[in-house]
Amino acid sequence: MTSRALRIATGVGSWLVTVAITLVGLAALTFFIGRVIPIDPALKIVGDKATHEAYQKVFLELGLDQPLYVQFWRYIAGILRGDFGISFQTTRPVLQDLLTFFPATLELSTIGLVLGVVLGVPMGVASAYWHEKWPDHLIRVVSLVGYSVPVFWLSLVGLFVFYYKLGWVAGPGQLDVFYNGVVTRVTGFILVDSLLGGQTDVFWNAVGHMTLPAILLGYYSLAYIARMTRSVMLDELSREYILAARLKGASELRVVANHALRNAAIPLVTIIALSYGGLLEGSVLVETIFSWPGIGNYIYQSLFAADMNAVLGGTLLVGAVYVLINTLSDVLYRTLDPRSRGQRT
Amino acid sequence: MRLFKALAGVALGVALFTSSPYAATPKDTLVVADAIDDVITLDPGEVSEVAGVLISQQIYQPLVTFDINDPTKIIPVLAKSWTVSDDGKTFTFKMNRDAKFASGNPVTAHDAEFSLQRPVLLNTRISFILTQFGFTKDNVKDKIKALDDDTLQFTVDQQYAPSFVLYVLSSYTGGIVDSKLVKEHDVNGDLGNAWLKQANSAGSGPYMLTKWEPKQSILLSRNPNFWQTAPGISKLFFQQMPESATERLALEKGDIDVANKLGPDDFAAIAGNKDINVLQGNDTTLYYFGLNLRNENLKNPKVVQAIKYLVDYQGMADTIGKGTMKVHQTMIPDGFLGGGIDYTPYKLDLDKAKSLLAESGVKLPFTLDTVVWNVPPYTEFAQAVQSTLAQAGINLNLEVVDGGQWLDKYRKHDLDVWMGLWGPDYPDPNSNVKTFTVNIPGDPDGTSDLADRFGWNSGPLSDQALAAVKEQDVEKRRQMYVDLEKAHADASPFVYMFQGTRKVATRANVKGLVLGFTYSDDRYGGVSKE
Repeated sequence: MTSRALRIATGVGSWLVTVAITLVGLAALTFFIGRVIPIDPALKIVGDKATHEAYQKVFLELGLDQPLYVQFWRYIAGILRGDFGISFQTTRPVLQDLLTFFPATLELSTIGLVLGVVLGVPMGVASAYWHEKWPDHLIRVVSLVGYSVPVFWLSLVGLFVFYYKLGWVAGPGQLDVFYNGVVTRVTGFILVDSLLGGQTDVFWNAVGHMTLPAILLGYYSLAYIARMTRSVMLDELSREYILAARLKGASELRVVANHALRNAAIPLVTIIALSYGGLLEGSVLVETIFSWPGIGNYIYQSLFAADMNAVLGGTLLVGAVYVLINTLSDVLYRTLDPRSRGQRT
Repeated sequence: MRLFKALAGVALGVALFTSSPYAATPKDTLVVADAIDDVITLDPGEVSEVAGVLISQQIYQPLVTFDINDPTKIIPVLAKSWTVSDDGKTFTFKMNRDAKFASGNPVTAHDAEFSLQRPVLLNTRISFILTQFGFTKDNVKDKIKALDDDTLQFTVDQQYAPSFVLYVLSSYTGGIVDSKLVKEHDVNGDLGNAWLKQANSAGSGPYMLTKWEPKQSILLSRNPNFWQTAPGISKLFFQQMPESATERLALEKGDIDVANKLGPDDFAAIAGNKDINVLQGNDTTLYYFGLNLRNENLKNPKVVQAIKYLVDYQGMADTIGKGTMKVHQTMIPDGFLGGGIDYTPYKLDLDKAKSLLAESGVKLPFTLDTVVWNVPPYTEFAQAVQSTLAQAGINLNLEVVDGGQWLDKYRKHDLDVWMGLWGPDYPDPNSNVKTFTVNIPGDPDGTSDLADRFGWNSGPLSDQALAAVKEQDVEKRRQMYVDLEKAHADASPFVYMFQGTRKVATRANVKGLVLGFTYSDDRYGGVSKE
């Protein structure tokens, strides 16, 4: 028992070290890139018409006169105290900003991913099963469209058809103006918070606003997941154990679901995890078109305003999310693949 | 078609569940779609972003303003009347006793004193608008002074045209705050700056700040104590919606009432829609490019002349501007004192340009470096100019950059050509004439005025510009500016191309929105919905 506990402890310890190195590396990279890009943060704050004195005042306030390593050290020391700095655009602590903007992305992406997995995996399986027959061709076309048509175009056309012409969904924004600010913020997820507050009308309004962007993100991830599922499944279905199972008289459903898909699930976990990570970065284009107050747009706007504290905070958050998702998929990997259970990372 | 069925099914399901209609905003609320992510403060002592100024102007009022239809007419607001001393240096304002703040406090000369001193004392990024009158941290408490509750004395360092001083006070920097309220929230001598920045307001205007969600929305509510005619709506809601095509759909659908960020194509698309009104207005933004005379080839006046004949002004206005700008070739925009003279000596004339280049004796072809901001219309402008210049043997080397880099290059003046826009800081011709004409001796880095920044010695024009701003007679002053801008158009290294024309689309039931001279100056105080 003790040796097992020790092994787990070492495992967790080495994982923590890896995570720490990854995040510090990420912070360093973003920090130094942010300092070499030819945008002057002080100029961005004071504007192009300010006097020399006004400029100098901000320059010193930002600590830009210090050597780079000092600036970086100050930043890291701040993070260790839980202080990510202040965003000069919102004049709030960056941490508070991230807690405001990230839930909107998390909520939308999770729904999008669920749609992508629930529809994409069966489509990929069907496509592989009926290889080179009409269902395969059809599904390949559908996923090719989702994969290759620019998402901003799909978004605009989607808005035009389903919002403007048909009126089935609500327009841009998270809620109708009427409902703005009526929900008490608990989790930051508008669907959850509105239900917690018993405001079902707000809930359905939010659903109406979320439907189209969620479906689009779902379609986008579906396209990728279906294609990858198809190729993994094709590989599995051509293996000898499938032939053996069929020769033993197993039903087709059993062959596909119990044998092939179970083996295909292992690489699929990685694929789905990466899709989720990608969605959680926030799609700048989708968020812009739908006026969605998400993290993608937040980082993008901050970058263009040279609001480096906000950019660094956002990047670290996305990095942490990736690390977390990777860890989760590693854990899932182990439960799915008996061979990896005895191994150590 | 499984996927499409599934998608349609989900969409239909949602449509059935959500029975409430999406269209139509509440009747007491005006929803304005805009790009507000650049707004970082609403404190009138430091605000300068386009959307920030727009919103701040709905909350704070100046001492005086001007008539949108006739800017030579100055109208009292918080000041009832004013007199100018014989030496032209001391302006004495009598305050309007009817005026009061949203808090219910009366507006006094002490409020005006506090508000106008603030930018100077805090040394904010817009302090230059006031410090040009010779105010410093040390003297401002004597120079801007309340003699009693009713009387404000404003003393400038030398004699200026009174209209110039009044125009500056009418600008967004001149917004008056409730000093009693703001002083209560002073933290470490910041004169209430932190308190006023984003969370609170203390003005006398038609609206007050209710809620600001940075980068998402800003909600203003009707000021219950407004001392003039109250607006017909109780809420003014600015919604972040940066995508112009999205804005258009939402406007046509009735989910927003005013669309502030439509592009030329969107206006073409809504032209026939009866539910939408398109308001036309004056815009004082000038689009121009400057030639840096530090370049050996550009130093030659014939080359500068030739380049002015190598721009397809009308063609660009038609194909790129599509009704959002008109050809304008002088430094004073139409609508300002001295504007509206229709002086357009240049058009695309390849033969004339070629002969001027031949006379100049410079070796062709030569190359000029420039950076271009990666957003419309600048990229299109730069490409159009590049192609016409090339026909005469001048290669324009374009580097496409983002807005931050573009401004950085602008300040460093190490480029041959810089293309951009100029928006006046206050509605007086001096805002343009000074920067494009006056040479400042001893300017540490030669970047305070654009004339210096582009390496141009404007000779006698510089003194004429300084004289014009002191001229007391309005008609004489106008004539001075007309002469100046013509001489300037002929000789300067600035190629003025266009003046913007303002267009804002609203739902047809929105009444009373008055467009100002810039987008920041639009007046929402009289708005109502039918």
